[in-house]
Amino acid sequence: MLKTFQQIGRDLFKAGLNSSHSGNISIRSGDRIIITRRGSMLGHLQEGDLIETGLEKNDSRITLASTEIKVHRAIYRKTSALAVVHAHPPYAISLSLLEDEIVPLDSEGSYLLHRIPVVRAEHTIGSSELEEMLPEVLKEYKVAMVRGHGSFAVGQLPEEAYQWTSSLDHSSRIIFITRSLGHNPLSVGTQKNKVW
Amino acid sequence: MTFGWHGKLLRINLANKTIGRESIDPGILHRWIGGRGLGVALLAREVPPSPDPPGIENKLIFSAGPLTGTGAPGSGRFSLVSRSPLTGTIFDCNAGGLWGIMLKKCGYDALIIEGGSSLPCYLAVIDGQCSILDAGGLWGLDIPSCCSALKAVHGDGVSVASIGPAGENGVLQASVITDDGRSLGRGGLGAVMGAKNLKAVVLMGRQKTVLADQAKYKYMFCEIGKWIKANPITSQGLPEFGTPVLVNLFNELGALPAYNFQKSYFSGANKISGETIAETVTVKRTGCRGCPVRCTRVTRGRSGAGHGPEYETIWSMGPQCGIDDLDTIIEANRLCNILGMDTISTGSTLGCAMELAQRGHLDIPLGFGDGEGLLEMIYKMAYRKDAGDSLAEGSYRLASGCGQPGYAMQVKKLEIPAYDPRGLQGMGLGFATSNRGACHLRAYMVGTEVLGIPKRTDRFSTGGKAGLTIFNQNVNAAIDSLSVCRFICLAVSEEYWARMLTAVTGISYQPQDLHLIGERIWNLERLYNLKSGFTSADDRLPQRLTDEPAAEGPSRGHVARLDEMMGEYYRFRGWSPDGVPTETKIARLGLEEMIC
Repeated sequence: MLKTFQQIGRDLFKAGLNSSHSGNISIRSGDRIIITRRGSMLGHLQEGDLIETGLEKNDSRITLASTEIKVHRAIYRKTSALAVVHAHPPYAISLSLLEDEIVPLDSEGSYLLHRIPVVRAEHTIGSSELEEMLPEVLKEYKVAMVRGHGSFAVGQLPEEAYQWTSSLDHSSRIIFITRSLGHNPLSVGTQKNKVW
Repeated sequence: MTFGWHGKLLRINLANKTIGRESIDPGILHRWIGGRGLGVALLAREVPPSPDPPGIENKLIFSAGPLTGTGAPGSGRFSLVSRSPLTGTIFDCNAGGLWGIMLKKCGYDALIIEGGSSLPCYLAVIDGQCSILDAGGLWGLDIPSCCSALKAVHGDGVSVASIGPAGENGVLQASVITDDGRSLGRGGLGAVMGAKNLKAVVLMGRQKTVLADQAKYKYMFCEIGKWIKANPITSQGLPEFGTPVLVNLFNELGALPAYNFQKSYFSGANKISGETIAETVTVKRTGCRGCPVRCTRVTRGRSGAGHGPEYETIWSMGPQCGIDDLDTIIEANRLCNILGMDTISTGSTLGCAMELAQRGHLDIPLGFGDGEGLLEMIYKMAYRKDAGDSLAEGSYRLASGCGQPGYAMQVKKLEIPAYDPRGLQGMGLGFATSNRGACHLRAYMVGTEVLGIPKRTDRFSTGGKAGLTIFNQNVNAAIDSLSVCRFICLAVSEEYWARMLTAVTGISYQPQDLHLIGERIWNLERLYNLKSGFTSADDRLPQRLTDEPAAEGPSRGHVARLDEMMGEYYRFRGWSPDGVPTETKIARLGLEEMIC
């Protein structure tokens, strides 16, 4: 288990999808949740950095768990996800400040993600608002953005949630480059995905 | 106009019944803030250091902080500073609840009580009128009865700080308790009140604390609130379980001492854990006025419902004494609260007595796991009856009287709380160097060694711990002076408090200012203790913790490696190798004239 978290965590960091101490990863195992420790470095996860606690019920280990555990729990309660990856992908965060949704232009993003909803909340860290809002959009989407904060991706396995995160930022980067070249991406194949 | 502070103190002399209102030099407030800092600054000037704890010339200084009464999260606190009859050190306690807020509402930043009354008395400061009143009818009452009687006379709106029978009888674990159970617990300051024949202090006022910058205050209030809500400790762990959330956590680390620190792991921990308490005996959750965390639990035991027990009490009356029966622990907590006794020192002394008896050094019918015997002995301690008279002197004097001081788990005669330094190296250094004796809250290295605040460090490593301990001791001294709850500070760093302090007082404070003020407080306390006869030889842990490896559990094989850290600690503090602040340090902190 630790090895999986270490691999995903390291890749997230090396790909620039998280800063040194940002982001978190969790999996659901029945009625339990295993989540990265609050303030851990995803690029250097160690023994003791994985915290197991209840999916519904708190226990003493809640004091060690990631700040985002409320949101992770809510996602597991309301979706079929078994893994959640939360990251701070810089290109996607930039777009989330400008758009209400991110619509990939590239084929991979278009095929895999179709579109990525952007949710707004007044409080974006450990937020009760997000606890309500995010599971609803993640019922229909693999990954969603919190405006100005970061992504939450779901999957059966951590690797799957990582893939959506990686694709999201890759697609966002392409949108950014395309716009930098002076093109209006809205005219390129976005209408189809608008109805996704 | 003064913002945040009132700039006034009330001085009461119980011997000659004089009451005086004095202005406080604004420079003192700016340099010492309030609470602990203001209290130690005033005490150091007014009570000369001496090898023996002073008698009736000792003073009690109650002091609030500039944030007290403003409604800022976790700010409804105040300090009580005096010389401890248990440790002989300069000593501060702080508590939440209503009393500190009332002190500010009375229009004062501090209350100095000096001299002793020839007859039992109590003090009432109500709507600007201060009176020293007869307490003949209150003497002997337990805390709830005393509190009820005073509220019957002065109205339900008053706040009461009182002592119980333990304070009246000079028990060295005696506490001062406010209203419904907020405790100024440690150091035996209840016995100082008792020696003065002062049963209680009753407060009621209506003055407001004026804020310098309302808009900035509101902004910082929201910013602090955001972090409290975002952090699982303050938004989930403490609200749901209170401090007992730590029982299982520390047991799983092999850092929950048991059987007077003969073990660092307790097999019955889950039976007395926060989770079990929440499921079985919790009646309701509550908290200090305006606090969003609401960490207080009301639990039901054999004698009805009451506050607590907190983590340290569960430990001291539980694992420390080999007891895993929750009902016994709740009852022990209730007894200490109504009799006015510090649960940590009381339970730890009981555990010490149990080991002395186990090893044949003390002839009392009390052994590990004897819950009913423990409850009976608490009563005997409070009234100094039979063997309780020896236990009422604290573990060090008890064990020394048996010729076995090594069985007292203490530093500077203050009993060590519920964290085994063999599994938490930084906590060990924090205990050993604490100015008031073994206190977990001075450095609270649990923050970094367990909770990952601000970042997690290897709890078995001594590397870097001296610097972190100093940092925490300094900043916590400033936080105690604001006066803000430490639990809130698990989620909110000092940079937020510096800004909040600026908003409230209108004086620009930056985080480094708080560190400097904290360092000044720490060094003044140190100097005072040195002048009272303490030396570096007192900065030691019991030999058991440095020489006997933990026998089982996750810390098995480890000892507290204090010597690896102590030299660094003194050097980093800018002290001599003997632990004495240098002239340069004293001058930099402006402490040359601070001790009378």
